Amino acid sequence: MSDDLKSRVQELIDTMINPAVAGHGGFVELIDVQDNRVYLQMGGGCQGCGAADITLKAGIERLIKEELPEVAEVLDTTDHSAGSNPYYQAGKA
Amino acid sequence: MDRLLLLLPTTTYRTQDFLEAAGRLGVDIVCASDEPSTFEAHAPDNLLTLDFADPDGAAARVATLAARRPFSAVVGVDDLTAVAAAAIAERLGLRSSATAAVAAARDKFQMRQCLAAAGVPIPRYRRLALKDDPFLAARGVEFPCVLKPLALSASRGVIRANNIDQFMAAFRRIGALLARDDVEVSGDAAQFLLAEAYVPGVEVALEGLLMGGALHTLALFDKPDPLEGPYFEETIYITPSRLPADVQRSIEAVAAAACAALGLSEGPVHAELRVNDDGPWVLEVAARSIGGLCSRTLRFGTGMTLEEIILRHALGWPIASLVRERRPAGVMMIPIPRAGRLAAVQGQDAAATVPGVEEVAITAHVGQELVPLPEGWQYLGFIFARADSPEAVEAALRDAHARLVFSIAAV
Repeated sequence: MSDDLKSRVQELIDTMINPAVAGHGGFVELIDVQDNRVYLQMGGGCQGCGAADITLKAGIERLIKEELPEVAEVLDTTDHSAGSNPYYQAGKA
Repeated sequence: MDRLLLLLPTTTYRTQDFLEAAGRLGVDIVCASDEPSTFEAHAPDNLLTLDFADPDGAAARVATLAARRPFSAVVGVDDLTAVAAAAIAERLGLRSSATAAVAAARDKFQMRQCLAAAGVPIPRYRRLALKDDPFLAARGVEFPCVLKPLALSASRGVIRANNIDQFMAAFRRIGALLARDDVEVSGDAAQFLLAEAYVPGVEVALEGLLMGGALHTLALFDKPDPLEGPYFEETIYITPSRLPADVQRSIEAVAAAACAALGLSEGPVHAELRVNDDGPWVLEVAARSIGGLCSRTLRFGTGMTLEEIILRHALGWPIASLVRERRPAGVMMIPIPRAGRLAAVQGQDAAATVPGVEEVAITAHVGQELVPLPEGWQYLGFIFARADSPEAVEAALRDAHARLVFSIAAV
């Protein structure tokens, strides 16, 4: 079941998510699916981006849950401090 | 299900903490940002782009959306979004301070006019036109003074001048800063600066929540590093304050008077004050919560975050407690020591093992161009600590910072 869910998440990433984030030089990798929780890593322009959390929660997670309602949560395992080329850079305001 | 509109600039540190708080509340989250999301076409009901510099336009756009699916609350997370959030809330009849009050707090000159009219103690101030000759503009200014832009945050562009030469240099430097591509100011904020008397004394920051016009103090932070200029880089914040109880009460009273003078009535406020033998002096009152990642020092009741309190208040939901946990806590905003490009960071593991240190968050990335104050507006990262006393918190933060090594290459 988990492998099947994993393959369906991967298909979503390949066909819908990565083509979208590619617009900002980003990409998303599926790390694992455990107990209906999807673990992702973000790279390229998404890694360290000031809008990465918006992309994850309002974009990626929403899309995955709409397409795969059995997914409980999407979790970001990215080391954002290691991002070398974030699309947007955060600051204190 | 309640529908929450969050205004999240692409450049804010605050997104993660607000989204996590909203997630815990289980509300339907709509994210508005200043730049289009790569997913906006996939989720038009939950992602939108707004021009935060045009509060009326933003309010009109959101009103159109709300006609189809109403919002329960709107929250701006920082200075850049505060006025737009108030304008949207006012248009939709949602809980917020009046737009005019929030706008006055956003403009350092308007703010001082309101505070002076109400008799709130503030430094003597003058607004100066950037087009003027700085030598002539300095006439009547007493030294030492502090020059600052009208609308920037995080001490950006704030410079002390002890004499006419320093005044002219600071005047020109602020003019150049406001002309930079990465500075978005318009109207008076692009044409004027403020000169005010330098007030000696210790500096504190008050984090509060306005409810029905009453200011509830959530935390009072000491700033143990001296802020005497020429630039005013904030580093360490520690709460609870070590100032005497009667001084703390006077700070809270003056901050409350400042909020009332501005007409602020609902939502978070972050106030900066100086304290000396003459009492508290208001330097700034912002209609927003504390910046950066600093809110992570704060927990309330049974573990509620500052962001959850702000969202609950905006939604009109009950808040179990506004009392901060008793354990002293603090944060160090890691300053940028010099201009250059970040080449490497070492010592994070050693810093994280200092007793009392909870988190070392490096937010600058390797390869990033680093711009120190007064032109810069970012930090290398943040260190968080909790301990049995404010003194122990401060020691832990300084120890952890001393273990970090930032290699900065020339650009």
